[in-house]
Amino acid sequence: MLETKVPSKPRAGLRVGLAEVALLGSIVFAASGHLLIKEGLNVAASATMHEGIWLRLLAYLGQPSVFLGLCVYGIGTLAWIFAVSKREISYLFPLTALNYVVVALGGRLLFDESIPLKRWAGILVVVCGVVLMNRSSEGGTE
Amino acid sequence: MNSMAALWASIAIGGIAQILLKRGVSGRIYFSRLPSFAWWAGLLRSGWLWAWGISFVIATGLWLVALSRIEISYAFPLLSSSYVLVAVLSKWLLNESVSASRWLAMVVICAGVILIAVA
Repeated sequence: MLETKVPSKPRAGLRVGLAEVALLGSIVFAASGHLLIKEGLNVAASATMHEGIWLRLLAYLGQPSVFLGLCVYGIGTLAWIFAVSKREISYLFPLTALNYVVVALGGRLLFDESIPLKRWAGILVVVCGVVLMNRSSEGGTE
Repeated sequence: MNSMAALWASIAIGGIAQILLKRGVSGRIYFSRLPSFAWWAGLLRSGWLWAWGISFVIATGLWLVALSRIEISYAFPLLSSSYVLVAVLSKWLLNESVSASRWLAMVVICAGVILIAVA
């Protein structure tokens, strides 16, 4: 591997490079894409309940929010590929657990869903793990 | 197909997909902060990237099959077991250095995912 290795020294704060920003972006875009697709499918599914499978698929893709959702999801995937090109996969992949945190917080902010105390505890534990993981990051490029 | 078998196959193939993606992009160096358009276009000619895309589609299909029978709150925490699979495979096949602190962080994240799922 020709990647420039940053010498491993204890880091005081968090490491937030372009890769970390892209990772967060990929999580937010994937979650928003899913929400948009789901919303569009709900509309299209009730309108084409009695049609055949191909006509239904076509109707799904014709829904603006399904199409938009797929595009947003695609951008999220590109951001993920970019992040993977800059960091180790054993570091990045567990960080995708932030997805659950984003979905829970998004549900609370956008749809006023309540978060039970146990789930807050889980969110806190995931965030602690993410911070620990970030401190274990070595190498890669900025 | 047995839905538990579909679930585990989905988790395993989804993990393997990440290894294929990393292998596909790691041979392709770029020297600026952001990759060029040619870099992105080059990915379309990489067999590793195609293998990643196909595994991703298969894993998603199996996941949907599994979810039609299995409670999502049961399936989601199992998904975090793929972090461990990816760590083992990346150490073995990609020579990544998985330090003790990284294993610890992984265990903490898995514990948090389980807590979120059972809440």
